[in-house]
Amino acid sequence: MAPKVFVPSPDRPPPVDTSGPLVWIRRNLFRDVPNTLMTLLGAYIAVTFVTAVVDWALIDAVWQAESRRECLDLVGRSGACWPGVFVWFENLIYGLYPKDQVWRINTGFLLLVVWMVPLWMPRVVSKVAIGLSAVMLYPFLASYFFLGGEKGLVWTALIAAGLWGLIWVWATALTETLTGKSVGTWLIGRLGRSGADEATQMRIRRGAALALFVVSVLLVAPAEFVEVRTQFWGGLFLTLVISGIGITFSLPAGILLALGRRSKMPVVATLCTVFIELFRSVPLITILFMFNTMLPLFLPAGTEVNQLVRAIVAVCLFAAAYMAEIIRGGLQAIPSGQYEAATSLGLGYWQTTTQVVLPQALKIMIPAIVGNFIGLFKDTTLVSIIGLFDLMNMARAVGEDSNWLGLFIEPFFVVTLIYFVFCFAMSCYSMNLERKLSAGRERS
Amino acid sequence: MTARMIEVRGLNKWYDQFHVLKDIDLTVRDGEKYVICGPSGSGKSTLIRCINQLEHHQEGDIVVDGIAVEKKGRNQRAIRSRVGMVFQSFNLFPHMTVLDNCTLTPLLGLGMPKAEAEEIAMTHLTRVGIAEQALKFPLQLSGGQQQRVAIARALTMRPKIMLFDEPTSALDPEMIKEVLNVMVELAEGGMTMICVTHEMGFARQVADRVVFMDGGEIVESAPPDAFFDSPTYDRSAAFLSHIL
Repeated sequence: MAPKVFVPSPDRPPPVDTSGPLVWIRRNLFRDVPNTLMTLLGAYIAVTFVTAVVDWALIDAVWQAESRRECLDLVGRSGACWPGVFVWFENLIYGLYPKDQVWRINTGFLLLVVWMVPLWMPRVVSKVAIGLSAVMLYPFLASYFFLGGEKGLVWTALIAAGLWGLIWVWATALTETLTGKSVGTWLIGRLGRSGADEATQMRIRRGAALALFVVSVLLVAPAEFVEVRTQFWGGLFLTLVISGIGITFSLPAGILLALGRRSKMPVVATLCTVFIELFRSVPLITILFMFNTMLPLFLPAGTEVNQLVRAIVAVCLFAAAYMAEIIRGGLQAIPSGQYEAATSLGLGYWQTTTQVVLPQALKIMIPAIVGNFIGLFKDTTLVSIIGLFDLMNMARAVGEDSNWLGLFIEPFFVVTLIYFVFCFAMSCYSMNLERKLSAGRERS
Repeated sequence: MTARMIEVRGLNKWYDQFHVLKDIDLTVRDGEKYVICGPSGSGKSTLIRCINQLEHHQEGDIVVDGIAVEKKGRNQRAIRSRVGMVFQSFNLFPHMTVLDNCTLTPLLGLGMPKAEAEEIAMTHLTRVGIAEQALKFPLQLSGGQQQRVAIARALTMRPKIMLFDEPTSALDPEMIKEVLNVMVELAEGGMTMICVTHEMGFARQVADRVVFMDGGEIVESAPPDAFFDSPTYDRSAAFLSHIL
């Protein structure tokens, strides 16, 4: 028998590339004949569409003209007529707000940004308080910037409270970032009273807060802006005001309604259920009409409720009802064991709700909540139906201007882009929030 | 004679038509350890859940540390703060770190300053041997570790009685041991305990009395030696032969 010799089997061919862009293309776009055909067809449609839009919006477009007639004479309908949008652009953003007062709107929104910046500063710990102050105090400051006019005693105090909040937020942000202490502790340290007993320290804190409030009142009292009545509000500004108030109102109100609907107290549960079902079963347009035309009939004669206020109230109630059902979905996803554990640890209803249940429920529902915010932002276009000139209605107004008669596509195109930017930003923020909240917390 | 910690008299409970607990009488004195066992559906868990009022009963009296449970539940919090509870499914709060899970009650329920609350939490976490995991989130721990955290969390409110509702049923054999060790240590420290469990080794080692339930009734209650060596009731004998 011949001795056994080891004969290596012949080399196998090297494996086909399994990664890299070329492989991806080959595998996903040109795998076989039908696949290749679909790819080519898709590419054809995409290219045609994109070039058509680019041709219309950029290449064939008219950039300088005095009227739509002039545009039509130059390129006909094949190119966009941007001058109309340029002329109206400020109105699209600010409505009919007086041009020399527009800086107040810009400052008002800038203040919100300034107010929120500390929320993204890593060493700041009082983020909840800062967020709450933005919701509770900022509106006073902003509404005076937007509205202006004479301010009575109460108004002055409220605006001062707003300014107080802003100063407090930044004082907190600075001391927490630089020294790691809260403003109060830092101040007590600077005064050399860290050793003092709790009552004294409390007095110092209260005193400092009061002193700051007095300073704010003194700062606010002499400042006075020209009144700009809400009839002149419009454009993106109005859209942001309505949807901003709607969004900030709908979340807390929705939480309360959802908790109320699940309450064991029959009266509370019934009232909340009736409210939610009533507002969810009626289209927003109907509610807007109701509030606009019928509310004044129910109010005592002579009471005049601003039309914008009516619209905002309608939007808020409608949004709250929808938000309530979203939150309720989140609450139902929390296993009963969580409630049992919290109650068996001696926590009461509100402690269980705020510490254990809501943080988990809201986190689960972030996509749905932000989805609702986006929906609300877009739904505010409906206020044009009751004659408010929001961004959408302002865009329509361009084509009714005698110089730009019939110019509808261009302003709508721009408005679409504006809506897209805002909604997409919200969507991105939601995704970012989800990632941040789940980082390192769960295995999966 | 030591004080009566838990006294249950003539307890009856129904789920609609279904009679879950039938005329239960049970007295647990300060420092005593009771083990409750029995087939599933026999009302063991329901009984201990009635003691801290996670379930409400229809008839009978429950007195915990001298406080009578009121039907309307006005003194529920006073009772719950005396009774620690450990669940089969741990029920840790997944959005908080282990440490935050354990400081919740000292901070909110007992109103302690943060530093003190953390100190107490760390003491108990050390006691159950899990201090080095304090900054992790519950879902990053194994089942046994989670259950030990749950025990530590219940201890932070300084309960006089600990209730265990099948604390090891959801665990692997290896992890069962680490949890039982903590429970044995707790028992040796003198805690009053009622454990619903089928860990008969544990029952033999620490229980002062073993209670056997069947069909919503307490059918046998005896010291562990008597219970294991000469069960007087057929059903408990059959049950023991299955699990021993």
